[in-house]
Amino acid sequence: MMQSAPFNYRRLIIWLGRLLLGGIFLYAGFSKIALPNKFYWPLPMLKFSIAANLSNFGYQVASYKMLAPAGVNFVSHVLPFAEVLLGLLLLIGWRLRIWATVVSMFMLMFLTVVTRAYLLHMDINCGCFATPEPVSLKKILEDSSMALLAILMTVFAYQEAGKPHPWSGPQVPPPATT
Amino acid sequence: MIRRYLLASVASLALAGLGSLTVMGAPAAQKAAKSSPSASASKKPAAPAQSLITVDGVKDIDPDKAVGSKNAPVVMEVFTDFQCPACKQLYTTTLQRVTDNYADSGKIYIVHRDFPLPMHAYSRVAASYARAACHIGKCEAVESALFQNQEKWEVSGDVKGTVAGVLTPAEMKKVQALVDSGSLEPLIDHDKQIGQAIPITQTPTSVLHTKDGQTYPVVGFVSYDVLKTLLDQLVK
Repeated sequence: MMQSAPFNYRRLIIWLGRLLLGGIFLYAGFSKIALPNKFYWPLPMLKFSIAANLSNFGYQVASYKMLAPAGVNFVSHVLPFAEVLLGLLLLIGWRLRIWATVVSMFMLMFLTVVTRAYLLHMDINCGCFATPEPVSLKKILEDSSMALLAILMTVFAYQEAGKPHPWSGPQVPPPATT
Repeated sequence: MIRRYLLASVASLALAGLGSLTVMGAPAAQKAAKSSPSASASKKPAAPAQSLITVDGVKDIDPDKAVGSKNAPVVMEVFTDFQCPACKQLYTTTLQRVTDNYADSGKIYIVHRDFPLPMHAYSRVAASYARAACHIGKCEAVESALFQNQEKWEVSGDVKGTVAGVLTPAEMKKVQALVDSGSLEPLIDHDKQIGQAIPITQTPTSVLHTKDGQTYPVVGFVSYDVLKTLLDQLVK
């Protein structure tokens, strides 16, 4: 009979990380692609809408003044889709250790970039979601919490991977041969 | 294996939820856009005394703040705040090229609407000087100077000095008199009320109106190359 997993704080953190970070990454990427312009039909308008939203996000990336125009173009066209993919992969849990590591690296990168902008007193929007949010101490604290959660999730995912899963059932010894 | 199916279901539900949220939001946005400032009866702001015109159903246009031909197939209202960095980017990159390639050739009538945000200390003052400059025929020079030097005057607060830098002393005297009289303030308030009725949720926002009554709000900064794809469809 299949049994539920016993309570384990490491598993709890992994689940929390997957659901929270997966949801946040999914929404962050989706909002950059689908908002604030929302034309869905006909198809040329949908294409324009997505291009306008990515252009708007590109402006926000450029406002950090860290990348050349080609880099801004690359990040603004790749990052939103990467966030959607990573969010889905975290929620599904496939190859969790790999994707949790990637998400942790992304979170550390976001935290570094936002902290730099804050320390330089840059009056810019963080570009985290589609709605304009100024870079602030609150934003740094939010990113720090998410980075910490991502790192804990990654470490615990590696630790838990070495143990048999509770749903896998007891190990049956091979029959003795004569 | 069961766990994988469960998690795949969670992911699918999350995607479906996001999709439905956006789809539910879309009609509201289109409706808000279609009800355009001039068409919304309940929130219709009172028109100020100055002579405002109507072009292709877009009412209460200050002709001094507009560029292009009134017979153009598309009217483009642009709501900006002089202290907003994204508005500067839109003005200095996209709008300049739209003016050169579409407004000057009579394809688009561009209407500049003031939407000074309360979070910006000097944007209202900048809007007052720009409006006054437009009324003496120096719109482009002053608006351009204000956007180009935004990072300087938003720190120093020297809007007047920035405007004086591109006008002759005689022109500056006229502009200052208009600003001091406060006679153009109702026009700025009126633009803002028009924006609030749409409603404008962030600056910059451009609202495109076609002759057949269609309205397309474009929110946020948009590059010229991207905007061009839409303009080319609309001016056909």
